[in-house]
Amino acid sequence: MQKGEKLNDSQEIRIGVFICHCGTNIANTIDVKKVAEYASKLPEVTFASDERYVCSEPGQALIRDSIKKHNLNKVVIASCSPRMHEPTFRKTLEAAGLNSSLLEMVNIREQCSWVHMHEPKKATEKAKALVASAIAKAGLLEPLYPLKFKVTPSTLVVGAGIAGIQASLDLANKGFKVYLVERAPSIGGHMAQLDKTFPTLDCSACILTPKMVDVPRHPNINLLSYSEVKSVDGFIGNFKVVITKKARYINEVKCTSCGVCAEKCPVKNIPSEFNLGLGKRAATYVPFPQAVPPTYTIDKENCLWFTKGVCRVCEKVCPANAVDFSQEEQEIQVDVGTIIIATGYDLFDVKQKPEYGYEMYKDVISSLEFERLLSAAGPTGGKLVRPSNGIEPRKIAFIQCVGSRDVQTNPYCSRICCMASIKHAHQVKEKHPDAEVSVFYIDLRAFGKGYEEFYARVQQEGVNFVRGKAAEVYKEPNSDNLTLVFEDTLLGEVQEQEFDMVVLAAGLVPRTTAEPIQKMLKLSLSPDNFFLEAHPKLRPVETQIAGVYLCGCAQGPKDIPDVVAQASAAASQASIPLAKGEVVAEPTIAYVDQDLCCGCKVCESVCVYDAIEVEATDENGKAKVNEALCTCCGSCVAACPARAITLRGFTSEQISAQFEALLKPAQQRD
Amino acid sequence: MPQKNVKDIEKEDVLKGPIRAGEIDFGFRKEIAASPGGEKLRHCYQCGTCTSDCPIARFSDSYRPREIIRMAQLGLKKRVLSSNTLWLCAACYTCTDRCPQDVEVASVIRILRNLAVKGKLIPSPFKELGKNIVETGTAYRIPELRLKKRAKTGLPPLPKSNIKAIEKLAEATGFSQMIKQSD
Repeated sequence: MQKGEKLNDSQEIRIGVFICHCGTNIANTIDVKKVAEYASKLPEVTFASDERYVCSEPGQALIRDSIKKHNLNKVVIASCSPRMHEPTFRKTLEAAGLNSSLLEMVNIREQCSWVHMHEPKKATEKAKALVASAIAKAGLLEPLYPLKFKVTPSTLVVGAGIAGIQASLDLANKGFKVYLVERAPSIGGHMAQLDKTFPTLDCSACILTPKMVDVPRHPNINLLSYSEVKSVDGFIGNFKVVITKKARYINEVKCTSCGVCAEKCPVKNIPSEFNLGLGKRAATYVPFPQAVPPTYTIDKENCLWFTKGVCRVCEKVCPANAVDFSQEEQEIQVDVGTIIIATGYDLFDVKQKPEYGYEMYKDVISSLEFERLLSAAGPTGGKLVRPSNGIEPRKIAFIQCVGSRDVQTNPYCSRICCMASIKHAHQVKEKHPDAEVSVFYIDLRAFGKGYEEFYARVQQEGVNFVRGKAAEVYKEPNSDNLTLVFEDTLLGEVQEQEFDMVVLAAGLVPRTTAEPIQKMLKLSLSPDNFFLEAHPKLRPVETQIAGVYLCGCAQGPKDIPDVVAQASAAASQASIPLAKGEVVAEPTIAYVDQDLCCGCKVCESVCVYDAIEVEATDENGKAKVNEALCTCCGSCVAACPARAITLRGFTSEQISAQFEALLKPAQQRD
Repeated sequence: MPQKNVKDIEKEDVLKGPIRAGEIDFGFRKEIAASPGGEKLRHCYQCGTCTSDCPIARFSDSYRPREIIRMAQLGLKKRVLSSNTLWLCAACYTCTDRCPQDVEVASVIRILRNLAVKGKLIPSPFKELGKNIVETGTAYRIPELRLKKRAKTGLPPLPKSNIKAIEKLAEATGFSQMIKQSD
């Protein structure tokens, strides 16, 4: 870091003070003229004035002109929260040739006029105290210079569903190297499990697989499937990532995906994860026909060789000699500049709503299971049948909001289930036009482009929409059918109706397997346990950790158009530091006086960002601050028994001066 | 006094027909929300889970807990407090248990009943039951004939109620006051 040059001791301190009216926000409560007049009388203050809007162009011009005219070398601005306009004013100072750290802001809006609206006199007194305190600190301000770090021009994308795929392709097409990590044997995520997509009814696989195929072919993408992130160290621009590549026991290069291994494998009764247990697979398998990579994987848990030490039939029959039982887990280390989290979602466990009888009745299924039943690549080859008896259903009920909008499970709306059930209802009607389909809803949310029109179309097709949350599903003795109890709230009538199949529109929940990466990166979660964005409106794909971005359902439930848009947004954001080649960090960080540091390591133990470390070179190791990781929280400063640590921009002298000014009796401010 | 059955009570609903502007009492929902158990009244989104789960609603043409909650939400004070169906809840708490919005439906009904009693809107059969409890210790006055029959069949005599204790309790809790007041 460039060392902050000291102001020449002999140089006179000349402070300019600017009090903002903020229209009427401040001026209606605080007597701004009085505050400015008071400030002008303080020693070291050369110039003080009030202005209707300091942040406006004329307001900034006043600052610039005053700096030049009065030869000011420190500036105090009393206005709104520094969160709003501190960057604006720092640029104003720079434009006038002053170092941007020679600015001190006072928040007399949020912290004064707004909260003391009914006590204008006292508010004015408080504003005077706050301004005096800022002036006291301003006298001690020193110029600081932003820190710059080089950026490794590559990105780690965690999760290869549609979100991770889109983000990776975008970044790769921009010319940056991408490491795409997927824990499952194939990329594609939940979208690969869907049959059709609402409201356009595109075949999900048809629109997804071209993108899936592009991934391994792209020269800039390094696809690490069947892999997991083991650890992440470092900071924006310089992350060091260790990835564990699990053993498939089949060589990815040699395997031709002929499928003979699976054909001959004697273990064939493993419930297929891809088909949610509705179909079976062998112990060596590809999850689905269009899997990428198409390499087969031996499932160690179920393979006879691994469980009983016999068999190895696949090894004998493989024409490409690809089976390799000696394969071991590999650790791969990569350096990246930015990270995108695209870990997706889990389906809500519908067993948590026992009143719907999911575990008791075979014909009660989840919406994703229904999706697999509709799919041509699914366990029934796309034939819609009742799981209990294999007969085509004639009366189907869809229960909405299972695990959503329910404080007993998840209070939030899962956003996709209304449209998914409307689509399912349409697909039933398409296959069996005379089937009776009813959708039981609390509110139908058809909010997207073309959604309401699709809803109207499905109503036209004869699907019943019943406003009322179903209470329970039960079976009359000796009946094959399921009885649904509900109130048609628009009629105010309690009804019981028989159906031969009930589909539970399950909500989306945060992925449990995303917890390790959340802990590794210390990412915040929102109250619903999805990843928290840096700002819900203005920084929707960034996180609180610099260089880490979010997209897809990892951040919250959303449909495919939103996921793809967000993935592109995350890719765009993640590419900014890569394109710049360097990142600039705030200069307000901790630094250690090496003469005072005794190497006791107390600072190390209190720093939650791992930003301070005592060098282990010799016995007299000294603490050293990692300037990129330090967030200026001050914990180490407070903890250091030797008072060897100082925060630039918040030194003990500066803070003491502020206190002294604040604690002065009010009479002395007249 | 002749016993009334559920159907009779349902027929007696006083206020029906269109809601007039003056009928809405905006302070009413605040009043309910301020009572223990009524805090989450405003969260109800009228999904009907309470009604479809309700063992009474299944056999009644008019008892709809969802509608009672709606009337309370809207501030239809007179209508809901004078509604006779308010008194059909059996307090099984299934509605409260299953409500996806954590509205304590049965507790709101309890609050409404208490308000109805305060407003002297308790239907006569229920007042009668209350009186029976205070006077005899049982909700139902057992006819002499039945007691004789009991003795004849060799059943032991019914335990005597401790009327004094009940009176004390009713006095302390304000129960007897309530019964008298609503006369």
